[in-house]
Amino acid sequence: MSDGITRRDALGRVVRGTVLLGLGSTAGFLINKAEGQVVWQVDTSRCVNSRLGEAGAEVCMLCTTQCVVAQSAVRAINSFRDCGRCYVCPAYYNIRSAVDERGLPSEKLCPRDAIRRTPIGFVDPEDPANNFYEYVIEEEKCDGCGLCVKACREPLGLGSIVLKVRHNLCVDCNRCAISIACPHDALFQHKVADALEPTLARQPQP
Amino acid sequence: MTSRAPRSVRLLAAAVLAGVLSGAHVAAQAIQYERPVQVAPQQETIGGGYVTPDVQRPRPREYWLQVADVGLLAVAMALAVWFVIERRSRAWTLTLTAASLAYFGFYRQGCICPIGSIQNVAVALTDSTYSIPMVVTAVFFMPLVVALFVGRAFCGSVCPLGAMQELVVLKPIQVPRRLDNALGLLKYVYLALAIGLAIRPEIARDFVICRFDPFVGFFRREGFAHMMAIGAGFLVLGTVVGRPYCRYLCPYGGLLSWCSRLATRGVTITPAKELDCGLCAKACPYGAIDRMRAVRKECLYCARCYASCPCEATPGVAV
Repeated sequence: MSDGITRRDALGRVVRGTVLLGLGSTAGFLINKAEGQVVWQVDTSRCVNSRLGEAGAEVCMLCTTQCVVAQSAVRAINSFRDCGRCYVCPAYYNIRSAVDERGLPSEKLCPRDAIRRTPIGFVDPEDPANNFYEYVIEEEKCDGCGLCVKACREPLGLGSIVLKVRHNLCVDCNRCAISIACPHDALFQHKVADALEPTLARQPQP
Repeated sequence: MTSRAPRSVRLLAAAVLAGVLSGAHVAAQAIQYERPVQVAPQQETIGGGYVTPDVQRPRPREYWLQVADVGLLAVAMALAVWFVIERRSRAWTLTLTAASLAYFGFYRQGCICPIGSIQNVAVALTDSTYSIPMVVTAVFFMPLVVALFVGRAFCGSVCPLGAMQELVVLKPIQVPRRLDNALGLLKYVYLALAIGLAIRPEIARDFVICRFDPFVGFFRREGFAHMMAIGAGFLVLGTVVGRPYCRYLCPYGGLLSWCSRLATRGVTITPAKELDCGLCAKACPYGAIDRMRAVRKECLYCARCYASCPCEATPGVAV
């Protein structure tokens, strides 16, 4: 042993080298199997609010209540390509409510008034029903309660509204609190590239 | 214009009107609703220059920003080492602590976090179907490697959980050494528990460290009431017991503590140049100065000992 290096120092170096090697190879192993960023998403074919043939009138609000973000990162999304643009939209109006003087249901369905209804093009005041209407969900108001999702289902609606995790709002919990609570195992992690797939409605997932 | 919507829409309007007349004001009596269209009208059908709007698809945080976070983590640790070992400056260390708390804590909301990444690493090592992004691997290993050489620089002024507690230390008491040692074992129990729960089969997997992160609720400015209460409890306790979470519960602190035993450099009370006055030991809120010597595995890189040292304060007296 050369001058200035004690036995203790030398031993320390050996142990440190060994630990470094161990850490390095573990990191190498993990990097080798790394597959890139994953995000949480709702499988709409499993979500009980959008799944067809699901009995029961109660809407499942677990996405709203379980998310660690106060105003849930799950929001209702209207896939415009699939929207019927109906004059009386069962997701916009509470079609069980009394009818007002214009012949429209008097109550809106959304408790947060998050859906905006605008006529497309010119509306004939004599015949407003003969027109299409655009329904836009204002995401900053929506909390993902799923009432509109459930209402838009076949046969009343075309199922254009679905619940989706908004990746700009999601805080990417290690284990999504909604996924723990969801009785239908509808939340799953997938790669960012898949998460940005344009098809939003009724997207079958493996 | 005339026949843009199918006839059924008009029929519906008639039905709705009929509903008014027949007394649909009774809420229970639902109108006979029938969907007016069978398929979604597309922009060609709608006409009039209508263009189907795009569905907003907000992207997750950009990957390069996550890589930049790893870079910032490295820079922050380098600065922590520089401020403490070279500059011996409490003021600079405190500045860095506040900056880390602001960025890693309140801006990045405590994620990505090496403490929680223990679980992901454990799962990735045991489950062949689970993998973690390279960013997480880097965040987990970097502070450990730093600890191998210079000790727990990460804890000092980089970790946002530590920074939170660092800033509330008001009148720290010296925890009796035996009690301190005994409580210090808790973090290894917690570490074992967290790994044990994380490596269970996927359906039963649980990330307890994340679920019981005491300060993430503060970072997000929202959270479950019981977690906010626990976090507040740690902060209140932290005014008299220096950094209770770091010293007694943090599982990553346990790993860093092991690594820092092998470090050759770190905060050192130099035997030849000290006055044996014991001011540094009194100044250390973490019980990391034992018999006038810095205990590397406990030292949390706060530089209070240097700030309290009369030799440091007197120019011309080399330390």
